Amino acid sequence: MNQKRMSRRAFLNTGGDVAKGSCIILTIPMILTACDQANEARINSGAYNILSDEEVLEYSAIAARIIPSDESPGATEAGVSYFIDTVLGDNMEAQHQILREGLRNLQSEGLVQHNAAYFHLLSEEHQDQLLKEIESTEFFNTIRFLTVAGMFSLPEYGGNKDKVGFELLGFVDQHAWQPPFGFYDADYALKGE
Amino acid sequence: MAQDSASVTYSTTEEVDFVIVGSGSAGGIIAKELSTAGYSVVVLEQGPHLQAADFKHDEWGIKYNFDLEWDWRKGHPQTRRKTEDEEAVIGDSSLRYAHNVGGGSVHFSGNFWRLREIDFIEASVRGPIAGTNFVDWPITYNDLEPYYSKVDWEIGLSGLQGPWDPPRSRDYPCSPMPVKSSGVLLERAAKKMGYTAYPAPVAILSEPYDGRPGCIHCGLCNGYGCEVDAKSSTMVTMIPKALASGNCELRTGCTVSRVNTDESGRANEVVYWEQDGTEQAQRAKAVVLSANGAETPRLLLLSESDRYPDGLANSSGMVGKNLMFNGYSQAIGIFEEPVHAYKSIPATRVIHDFWTLDEDLGFYGGGGIDSRHPFGGNLISTALNGGIFGGPSWGAEYKQSLQHLFTHSCSFDGHTTSLPLSSNNVTLDPTVQDMWGRPAIRVTYQEHADDIATMKFFMDRSLELMEAAGATQIEGYYDEGAPWTQHLLGTCRMGNDPDTSVVDRYNRSHDIPNLFICDGSSMVSSSRGQPTITIMALAFRAADYIIQAAEQGEI
Repeated sequence: MNQKRMSRRAFLNTGGDVAKGSCIILTIPMILTACDQANEARINSGAYNILSDEEVLEYSAIAARIIPSDESPGATEAGVSYFIDTVLGDNMEAQHQILREGLRNLQSEGLVQHNAAYFHLLSEEHQDQLLKEIESTEFFNTIRFLTVAGMFSLPEYGGNKDKVGFELLGFVDQHAWQPPFGFYDADYALKGE
Repeated sequence: MAQDSASVTYSTTEEVDFVIVGSGSAGGIIAKELSTAGYSVVVLEQGPHLQAADFKHDEWGIKYNFDLEWDWRKGHPQTRRKTEDEEAVIGDSSLRYAHNVGGGSVHFSGNFWRLREIDFIEASVRGPIAGTNFVDWPITYNDLEPYYSKVDWEIGLSGLQGPWDPPRSRDYPCSPMPVKSSGVLLERAAKKMGYTAYPAPVAILSEPYDGRPGCIHCGLCNGYGCEVDAKSSTMVTMIPKALASGNCELRTGCTVSRVNTDESGRANEVVYWEQDGTEQAQRAKAVVLSANGAETPRLLLLSESDRYPDGLANSSGMVGKNLMFNGYSQAIGIFEEPVHAYKSIPATRVIHDFWTLDEDLGFYGGGGIDSRHPFGGNLISTALNGGIFGGPSWGAEYKQSLQHLFTHSCSFDGHTTSLPLSSNNVTLDPTVQDMWGRPAIRVTYQEHADDIATMKFFMDRSLELMEAAGATQIEGYYDEGAPWTQHLLGTCRMGNDPDTSVVDRYNRSHDIPNLFICDGSSMVSSSRGQPTITIMALAFRAADYIIQAAEQGEI
């Protein structure tokens, strides 16, 4: 048996501290309004509210390393960049600025180490190596948090396109269930104990 | 949002029989009991009146943007510190609570564990614990049993009497909820280890009852409002009956600022702001505070006057003290076959073999273990926790690990006691104010060493059970230094002695005979981590007594 113990909470099952290290969760000023029709139209047309073209390419490239596309869809197919655009567009100029600065730092590292001005132009290997170096930064944790939230939140918020995030987790988006719910209760019903 | 469709409206200058502050687990019950008994009642609720159609499976909105709660992002800051030597700082709210009609009963998990005989007399059976305010309750299990049964039947519970449960006068109205795979894993593990797991008693309907449908097992109870009214919140059980009585006016979006007293020292008026900031004052013959264990003590402290310089009902100095959080621990396991613990209600089996821990362990404590989805069936929370078994937290391997983390996982959760301490409390922050200009709630809290030892004990048992259940990967933690709680307990405790308690054995203020206080603040001990059924039973009991007092002309 794995004897490793966490001496205190290292993970939580609700919001709040679970996103420690991200500048976003601690600063959301109000309830995010679920996207309205105008927002839906924006996503369908491919237009962004506040992210620049460069930011879209760069944040998308980072998100794609956090949840890569392989035999199943990743952050790219989920359209996580639209979610990031939605969140940062909700009165979060200060947090957006933190991300812009973090991005600049990442880009200059890429330039110094690999002679490329943009993160998205680097090889995946070089991208991973650079991200590993900044794993504990607020910048990376914020992008990770937004990538995960964008991948698995309701599509109305901009990401999780075609519910690819639900599929990845094996979550069946069905509103009502009847027993058996899983393998073990089916087995229990069969054996009576 | 629901129309309040008040069948009656009262003028603020008219003296109503009762003003009730808060419409949650206690306030909703007392409103229904007093209004259906024929008394005129005004309920002041600071949140909106939501209904099933307002709720949805929206983790981002509800869990991460606090749709059902208010915190500092919405103008309601709290400050927090561990000891009074520290300066308290603003952070995520330590004391978290829903702001809506029905209060926390709207978004609770509905685990309804009655206290047992021992809970009420534990201090005298076990002896005092130095440095704590651990005392017996002024009532016994037998005093409260009829009201527990009233909760079962009026609120609507599903369950089955367990082998260790205290005696009950009536069976549960609804049969137990169907067992989930997570419950089966706990039950089978318990059997191997010589413990007993039995159906969890819950305030969620397994079958149609009292005009409401049975649960459809959609999977999101904890933290979410029920979309079909199968969860037995006071929003769907009590408030509609109160409004239908024709004697109850529910005023939502109303934030109470103080309770005024007359020349004789009796409560006679409740002052509040309407949503747009208009100040109002409602006159009443008597006042009931059910604003929760955080807001009730703040309101009492805010209601200071020349006559009551330390706040209302506070001659004992106990208002705000003895705050208890309830301890928590978790063991998480991954299994070979699909568990799908994200479906149906959070917990379907409980183990109560550790209600009271052996004194030879050298610390005080007790609790229960149930089995759940480790991350409440939430997708974002699950994915944020990818990597907990030591793998990477991003990249291809991380992505690979996510599916089993969601579908093949389950947790055994320990819900445990907290000791009441004077040093754990709610006070008024000297500098930080909320959007109304009221002093913010300041929380000072650090667990007693026994609370931590108890959490660790329960984590260890859960880890053993997880191994017995056959998990392939296991991890665990206990909640030392917990930053927040939704169990707001002990801050206006009941007792026979006016020098050491705030309310008497019927939830009547020792100091002010027409002021009643009933909510989590009334709790003398912390319960084994599931306090709501006891808060509700106290509310039914207090209402009975208030009606008797009114009939005798004491109000």
